[in-house]
Amino acid sequence: MILVVSTCKYLLSEEEFVRPVVEIVKSYGFDCDVKRYYERINPEDYSKVIICGTALRDSDYLNYIDNFKKLIDYDGSILGICTGYQILAKLYSNTLDEIKKIGVYNVKVVKKNPLIQNDFKAYFLHKFALRNVNKMIEPLAMQGDEICMFKVKDKNFYGVSFYPEVLNREIIVNFIQL
Amino acid sequence: MKVCVLYSGGKDSNLALLKAYEEFEVVCLITLSPKSEESTLFHYPNTEIVKLQAESLGIPLIMKTCSDDEESSLKALYDVLTKAKETYDVNGVVTGAIRSTYQATRFQRICDDLELWCFNPLWLRDEISILNEALENGFEIVFVRVAGLEKTLLGKKLTANIIQKFTEMRNYLNPAGEGGEYETLVLDMPLFTKKLKIVDYGIIGTEYDATLIVKRAELVEK
Repeated sequence: MILVVSTCKYLLSEEEFVRPVVEIVKSYGFDCDVKRYYERINPEDYSKVIICGTALRDSDYLNYIDNFKKLIDYDGSILGICTGYQILAKLYSNTLDEIKKIGVYNVKVVKKNPLIQNDFKAYFLHKFALRNVNKMIEPLAMQGDEICMFKVKDKNFYGVSFYPEVLNREIIVNFIQL
Repeated sequence: MKVCVLYSGGKDSNLALLKAYEEFEVVCLITLSPKSEESTLFHYPNTEIVKLQAESLGIPLIMKTCSDDEESSLKALYDVLTKAKETYDVNGVVTGAIRSTYQATRFQRICDDLELWCFNPLWLRDEISILNEALENGFEIVFVRVAGLEKTLLGKKLTANIIQKFTEMRNYLNPAGEGGEYETLVLDMPLFTKKLKIVDYGIIGTEYDATLIVKRAELVEK
């Protein structure tokens, strides 16, 4: 069973940022539960966790960031999409830079990883991302000087600052099949 | 939250409107009317009919004509959204965008510039499921433009049989018409207080590239 976490303040945003991810997960025969950012999350009940993104102006989830702290001790796999990427970065004490990126951009893979092998194009919609990381995080892919994909060292925790459900479904498919 | 809906009068913007109505206060509709079907951002045919739809919905309409080129279209969108903010205190914009990153990118950028929330409730939806959901909600939809499909489709209502045909053809066409294969006009949907009746129309174009022009339409009791 996979846990899909919504970081959307409004239900209408979930149609855009959560439903597409749930549909991909289910289309590959996996069951999932959807929880909202303000609900109690018990990751240990699940084999994998996907934290979805939200609207560009939505930052309400930041008021509930403590809900995500228990993820640090989680033994399963996590994929953080945009907002999820930002949450993982913060959980491991990294500082996000103000980087506004809206649209399709080229991405260069800089480290071999199980989610995607070759350079690709991705759809971005964010105002904050990482340029630098501490030793807990290893960059996997870059968009210009932005670290747009990373892995937490010694964990199966991945963050992507773009939306893989739009142009890179294989990233989600490879993640749920890890 | 007070929102406006980018409204073409077709199936996608009406379904987006229905979804927005469930959660937000829809305070106005925004319609941009391009000069031809060449526009890459906005739906072309029968935009005048939108006035009747807005009347049936009881929602104020802001309408503006724009050129087909991208720069003029985006400037027009910026202007009408600014007006919606000033006039109706709008905080967010709802669109019927489904899969076009070109369209979504431009809408998101303008919303961000104007500090507006952007909602795309049909984003990445399976196209057939959109058609089915519209029918399940009692939408009455007619085809008003075809490009690559036979012009005999013009004026016909979307039915389960047509959806089945589109499903069988989905390797060759986008079933939602996102590739410009067809455009639709909604005659009735749950939020309409009266339904639209086409009284007189004409068809222009060729066998596989044609448009139904509504010459006269009126609102009638449902």
